[in-house]
This record gives sequence, structure tokens and C-alpha cells, in this order.
Amino acid sequence: MKMNAYALSDEEIRIIHNDSLQILEEVGVRIPVEKALELLEAGGAKIDWEKKNVSIPREMVAKALDITPKEFTLGARNPEFDFAMPSSYTAFTLDGAGANVIDYRTGKRREAVLQDVADAARVFEEVELGKVLWSPVVPYDVPGGPCGILNTATSFMNSSKHVQDEVKTLDEVQYVIEIAKAILGSEEEVIKRKIYSATYCTVAPLCHDEEMLEATMELTKYKAPVLILPMPACGSTGPASLYSNIAVANAEALSAITVFQLMTPGTPLIFGAALGIINMRNGIFLEGAMETALQLSAMGQMGKYYGMPTIIAGCLTDAKELGMQADIEKVMTCLPLVLGGVDAVNGAGLIESSMTMSFEQMLIDGEIGLMCNRMSAGIEVSDEKNFFMDIKEVGPGGHFLKRKNTRTAVRSSEFFTPELANRSTYSEWLKLGSPSMFSEAHKKVEKILSGELKNPLSPSTEKVIKEIMEEAKAKLR
Amino acid sequence: MADLYDEMRNSVLEGDEELAIELAEKVLTEKGNAMMAMNEGFLNGIQEAGRLFEDGEYFLPDLIFAADALKSALRVLDSELKKNEGESVKSKKIVLATVQGDIHDIGKTIVGTMMTANGYEVHDLGADVKNEEIIRAVKEIKPEIVGLSALLTTTMEEQKNIITMLEEEGIRNTVKVIVGGAPVNQNWADKIKADGYSDNAISAVKLADELTA
Ligand code: B12
Repeated sequence: MKMNAYALSDEEIRIIHNDSLQILEEVGVRIPVEKALELLEAGGAKIDWEKKNVSIPREMVAKALDITPKEFTLGARNPEFDFAMPSSYTAFTLDGAGANVIDYRTGKRREAVLQDVADAARVFEEVELGKVLWSPVVPYDVPGGPCGILNTATSFMNSSKHVQDEVKTLDEVQYVIEIAKAILGSEEEVIKRKIYSATYCTVAPLCHDEEMLEATMELTKYKAPVLILPMPACGSTGPASLYSNIAVANAEALSAITVFQLMTPGTPLIFGAALGIINMRNGIFLEGAMETALQLSAMGQMGKYYGMPTIIAGCLTDAKELGMQADIEKVMTCLPLVLGGVDAVNGAGLIESSMTMSFEQMLIDGEIGLMCNRMSAGIEVSDEKNFFMDIKEVGPGGHFLKRKNTRTAVRSSEFFTPELANRSTYSEWLKLGSPSMFSEAHKKVEKILSGELKNPLSPSTEKVIKEIMEEAKAKLR
Repeated sequence: MADLYDEMRNSVLEGDEELAIELAEKVLTEKGNAMMAMNEGFLNGIQEAGRLFEDGEYFLPDLIFAADALKSALRVLDSELKKNEGESVKSKKIVLATVQGDIHDIGKTIVGTMMTANGYEVHDLGADVKNEEIIRAVKEIKPEIVGLSALLTTTMEEQKNIITMLEEEGIRNTVKVIVGGAPVNQNWADKIKADGYSDNAISAVKLADELTA
């Protein structure tokens, strides 16, 4: 069977679901967007117009969940990379919105620039499990206004995979749609192919951001999928037990689902989560903690309970440098999610609590993901894998190297071969120049970035996108 | 009297807001010395809390409880303290805000708590605060320091804009500007000619101390 891991029992899932409904009814959420409040009121919610506080009755939540699509495909510019959810394996999202980069040429940490977004997209193109490209850093060398659009355009130009970003203002929505139209030709295709989706963070505890909600509601008119990303931190922006913090995060998610389904019934939504705990000495948000992993794993289960596609934060670390802490924390925050069967894990490529990107780490994370997926696939106990005849024929003593079954098994998916981890003998390894996972990853990064751009846009499309970028620079402040 | 001062100290140290208020009110009704109550009582408590924090025995919530108890006592004694304002109790003022367009407020709040715990009079304007509002606060409150928090690369720009506005208003040299937040670094602080930068609340206090020494 597949190998599974769950943080919550079925009973506990129902308890938390009910807790969240109770929070929505008795505490409510703050939604500072008039249009959303009107829709909610018309749907039967009680509104305190002055505080912009909404109590959402459970029937409304149920109705919203009912019309939330259970499956859809995140399209890619190159259809080969289309990602259908629910997925039989766990894919990876490039982690979003850091500030720094560990420069692969110098090994030193520095401020990120727009070129890093382009390079990251090119490296991500070659990550086998990488299906969703979130702009990994916010560059320092471009002004704030057009920054989001420049990132999105740069990602599309340098990768043919699905692009996910966020729309922070109403103005940005038209630009994003224009970019997608330039690639796909028409608005109908944009709606059908879904090559762009947006992340949407609720504001813990129990609030929504005015501009971001307005913009994201507008985006649903184009049926662009929205990844709902609650992130209360246990003890600071959320209550101080893992259990109640999950209930708050889940309540935030349900409130967002309700609003988006009222706005555009049947719009595709992805259940996400990025909750965590804090360092009680300095307040720092901790991503690589085991308690963070437990909460994220639980949220993955909540999303599945609602039958929604799930993309959950994971493969995270608070380490400031590449190395032991980073890799240990990344594995520990990735494996449970993969064993829980979430559709994608969001975290590849960044360290330092998602503040700093490393291309080498991105490739190492890709390998961590493959290892975790292999683990999750489990052990096949079937007639096909029952090699009793081999056992009988070899008998006690002897060996299995010269069995037909052994020869086929070598090339079967049952045995996974890592690309970066070393499996040579000691002297072989010395002869190879004593490679480490890092040095192997580094070599691959250099190879990718010194090579040709894969899957480029046609020159005419690229020209249109560059014009859109120029317009954004001129008009978005 | 010594016992009463101990009680005051402990009310802050334990973060018992109700008790702190009760004790402060007692000073007023019994016509005690507000200044002495502050210096010998309540402020001792916050200093001890700060020490315990540095020793690793106190955590953030402990400190926030203590800071709020102190603030409550201060509020009760405020008018009385102002009467004989002069030398000793005059604390340094700091205006804190997360810049406009940015709603991250935990880091800024923690900096505020740590400042309070170290004897600063903190005016926390909140998050997503309009630049004009910050300028107005600087003019009205006349703080020694203004602290600006920005957690987004795209809102860091406002720290620079605020400094420019302070210059335009001709009040730049009346106040020290310190900046912080995840994407902010020393390089940026230098570039926008801020007076200081720190990436955590404890060194933010040291920074403030140095700048106002
Ligand atoms: C919690 C959080 C949120 C919460 C905030 C809740 C709240 N009430 O504050 C919510 C969910 C609302 C949120 C929203 C968003 N967030 Co956010 N968020 C975070 C997160 C995970 C932790 C921030 C935090 O609380 N840290 C804990 C405190 C204690 O640390 P701190 O703020 O750094 O403060 C310390 C020091 O910096 C310093 N300091 C801070 N201020 C000051 C001021 C002075 C004067 C001084 C001297 C020192 C100082 O001292 C503090 C105490 O030690 C960070 C990631 C991270 N690793 O920082 C992202 C992060 C800041 N968010 C980010 C983003 C992009 C957003 C969103 C746009 C949506 C999104 N995609 O996530 C929206 C923005 C909305 C808006 N308009 O502002 C990015 C920013 C990327 C960038 N480079 O610009 C980050 C880095 C996450 C990421 N990697 O994607 N976020």
C-alpha cells in the first residue's frame, strides 16, 4: 500500500471543522470590502457595517463548499507541464517572495534583483516535480508599483510552467490578464487554460486585506484559480495551541472560500496553508519547526476533507545558510505532507524562513521531493511483485543477480535513483572529486544558466509582453 | 513604604494590570509621592522584567504583560507626574509605525514593547500608517526617535519618502530615524540616510540608547 501519515483522526477533523464554523458564526471575520459585504449580506450573513465584521452562518459555508470545484488543471504555457489536481503524486511550488539570494557565483547572500527571478525560472524549468512557479523573490532593483507585474512577466518569459503570483491591487489584474492573453491569444483561452493563478493571504487573525481582496475577487471573473493561504502564527497572530490555531486558519480559509464563491460561483479555488509557530524570545515566525509541520499536515487533511485541491507550505527551514539545519528541517516539513497526499508542497528553493533564495537549494529540494514521493508510493504487495519462483529456484544460498525479474526491476519505478546524492564507493567518490550534494547541484545550476533558454516564447509574443512591462513601469505607482 | 514599593514592582513584574492600577490609584487617594512610586516601584518592576528576559527566563508574553501593567500605572499617575515635571521622570519618547501599504505589525509591536520595558514612552501609531500621519505625530509629540517598520520590499520605499518629508518640513534634525523589518538592511538604512537599523528588538533598544545618549 501507499505509505501514509496523518496528524488528525477523522473525528478530530470534524471537531476542527465545527470549531471553525463556530468561530465564523460567533466571532466572525473582518472584511473591509463593500462589494464582498453586500454579497455576504444578500447570502444571509449578519454584518456589522461599522466594524465591517461578518458572522457567516454555517449553511452559507456549506453552500460555498458545495459549489467549489473538486478538480481542475493548472495549465502551463507548455501543455507538457499541465498539472491536474487532485494529483496522484505530490508536486512542488517554487517558494514565494523572499528578499535575498545566495549568489551561485560567489556563494554570498545579497539583495535580489529582477535577473534572479529570470534565472530562478530557468532553473525551476528543470526541476522534475516543479509544476507551479511563484516568483521567488521581490527584487530590489525595480520600483514597488510595477514590481508584481514585472515579476509575473519575467516568470512567463523564462519558464513554460504554470505561473502563480499575487494581485495586490485592482490595477494589476488587467495587466496579468493581458499577459496571459498575449500568450494564449484570447480571453476564452485564458479562462479555459488557466496558466496563471494567484495566492491570496488572509490576514491573521480573522481579517481580510482590502486591496488584495478586491483585486483577487476581480481576478475570479476570469476563473483564475486562487490559492487561499491563511497563516496565523501560534501565540502571536493566532491562539497558543496548535489545535486552536488550526481552527482559526481553517475558519479564515472557509471565509475566503465563501466570499469567492459568492463573487463567482464555481470559481476554482485551492486550499492552502502557511501557518506556523513563533520563537517566543523574539517573535520570529518559525517555518522549519516540527509544530509548524504538524499544523500544515493537519491543514492538508482539512483541505482534503472539503474535497479541494491542496497546495500546502512545506519543505521549509529557518536556517540562515545552506547545510545541515536547512536540509533536516526541509525533509521534516516535507515528508509528512507528501505522506498525507497533498497535491503540491510550497517551499522549494528558499531558506531563512522564506527570506533567501538559493538555486542549489532549489535542486536539492527537488531531490528531497522525489525521495519523499518514493517513500509515499510505498511497498507494492501484489501478484506481479511476488517473486516466489525466484526464491524457489535460487534456493538457500546462491544469488538473485542473474534473474530476469532482477534485470527488469532495475529499470522499474520501484527503485528510485537520486541524481545529486552520491552512492559510489569511497575511491570512486574520491575519483569524482569528492562531490557533495551541494557541489553536484551547483554544477547543474551552472550548466542550466550557461545554456540556451528552454521553451522560449515566440519573438512576437515576447515583444508584446515587453510592451506590457513598459506600460506597467510607466503607469503603476 | 518599602513594602508598598515592592508590591508595585511585583505588580509590573508579574504583569498584573489590575493590581498595578489599584496601587497607582492608592498613591493618588492617599496623596503619596507619584514620582517615588514610579521610580522606586513600578519602574523597578519593568527593569527586573527586562533582566529576566535577557537571562532567558522571561519570554515575549511575560514582557508584554509587564509593559502593559507599567503603562496602566503610568496612565493613572500621568497628570500627577506632569505636575512636578522637571528632572527625573522625563522619559524619552519614540513614535513607532509600520509604513503605509504594509499591514505587518508584530515586529513593530515587539520593538515597542521592548522600548517600553526599557523606559521609553512609546507612541505606537499602528500599521499601514499614512506618511502624513507620521509627520504630524512627529510634529505634535516631538519624539527623540521615530521608528519605521517595513516588511515588504515594495513598502521600504516609504521609509525613504518619510525621511524626505521630514527634511522638507525642516524637522529632520529634530528626530533620529531608525528603520527595520525583514527586507530592510544596513545598506538600505545608509542609502536613505536613516540614523540606524536593527534586525531585532533588543538591539533596537541599544540603538535608541546610543542615538539619544
Ligand atoms: C506573519 C506574516 C504576515 C501576516 C502579518 C500579520 C500581522 N498582523 O502582522 C499576514 C498574513 C497578514 C501577511 C500578509 C502579507 N505578507 Co507577510 N509575512 C509574514 C511573515 C511570515 C512573518 C512576519 C512576522 O510577524 N515576523 C515576526 C516579527 C517579530 O519579525 P519582524 O517583523 O521581522 O520584526 C523584527 C525585526 O525585523 C525588527 N524590526 C521590525 N520592525 C522594526 C522597526 C524598527 C524601527 C527597528 C529598529 C526594528 C524593527 O525587530 C522585530 C522584532 O525582533 C513574513 C516572513 C518573515 N520571515 O518575516 C512574511 C512576509 C514579510 N510577507 C510577505 C508578503 C509578500 C506578504 C503579502 C504581500 C502576501 C503574501 N503573499 O504573503 C501580504 C502583504 C499585505 C500587506 N499589504 O502588507 C513577504 C515579503 C516579501 C518581500 N520581500 O517583500 C514575507 C517575507 C514572506 C514571504 N517570504 O513571502 N504576512
